[in-house]
Amino acid sequence: MFKNNEDSYKSDKIETIIGPSVKVEGEFAGDGDIIVEGIVIGTLKTKNHLRIGSEAKVQAEISAASAFIAGDVSGNITIEADLDLKATAKIHGDIVCSQISIEKGATINGKISMGSPKKPAINNSVMEK
Amino acid sequence: MYLYIYDVFLNDKKYFNLLNKIENRLADLEIKGKICRLNLLKNMSEAIDDGIKQGVNTIVAVGNDSTFGKVVNAIADKDITLGIIPIDGNSKIAEILGVPAEEKACDVLAQRLIKKLDLGKINKQYFIDSVSIDDNNVSLNFEKYQISPVGKTMISICNLGFLSGNDSIYQKKLSVPTDGWLEAVVTPLKSGLFSKKNDRMPSVFPFKKILVESRGEPVTVTIDQQAIFKTPVEITVAPKKLKVIVGSERLF
Repeated sequence: MFKNNEDSYKSDKIETIIGPSVKVEGEFAGDGDIIVEGIVIGTLKTKNHLRIGSEAKVQAEISAASAFIAGDVSGNITIEADLDLKATAKIHGDIVCSQISIEKGATINGKISMGSPKKPAINNSVMEK
Repeated sequence: MYLYIYDVFLNDKKYFNLLNKIENRLADLEIKGKICRLNLLKNMSEAIDDGIKQGVNTIVAVGNDSTFGKVVNAIADKDITLGIIPIDGNSKIAEILGVPAEEKACDVLAQRLIKKLDLGKINKQYFIDSVSIDDNNVSLNFEKYQISPVGKTMISICNLGFLSGNDSIYQKKLSVPTDGWLEAVVTPLKSGLFSKKNDRMPSVFPFKKILVESRGEPVTVTIDQQAIFKTPVEITVAPKKLKVIVGSERLF
């Protein structure tokens, strides 16, 4: 009932965790849920949920089915469904999504387009989950 | 038809009574088979090939983790079921598979609960549990992206992760040896008394193939706490590669 959001990485559904102890560079793509608490440079795509924690630093084009963002993101964000921006989120880039929730304190430097994104979140044949 | 392979060290007289007890128990359970005692002149691959020609479909390795590791590599590419009888209580692989030591293992064999396990493959050698990388000065290269550890970390490539030195990997089921994937797990080492909880969060990357390269001098890579390789190494998953008899106390 009082589950801490920061504990959610223990969930059975989580498949990829980019923790604070790694830096990922390149085209990262997956089918499962992704949690980011570290550094990502390049592109970041998933067919499922993406969670970017408050300490994360992402310089990447992002696409996902849904997303929760509490960290720094530099790059365009395309979300098929819901995008949830927390107070600590700092976005430098354009946002395309169906629905958005912005907490007081979040900063956005870019254009927000609402409605269904034209492209699906991901269509790739890479080996990662 | 069963073939029991006794490792070389069991030729020592001190194991005579124990092996007799095991053989009697196997006879009671009606799963007795051919026995092959390895020695300096008879190696494991020959014994297994001879057994297969004679119609053996289950090979039971009698020995320790070193024995089991060798048998896994010898039968991985063959249509054979593996059973194990651990001779001391120190076998980690037996713990993973839920097989008790010595005579009690015979009961697990008789129950014949078979699971198909993924194996990891590093260069040309198979492993059951995990690969440990001792040095941070490496990069893990996936097909389209690359991971570099930041700060002091422990790097493991896990099929199950029991031998990785990080208990949380198999306890939280971050890595499951029947899902067709391996996981690269990067765990930060404790940085200080006041480090944040998130600072200790492990990174987990499921994959089917990676290349581990060092960014300086070659780095030591240990598989299942036994064999040692040097970087660069290619690590792949071999899904459902090993048919093995397991006990109800298995860790997966």
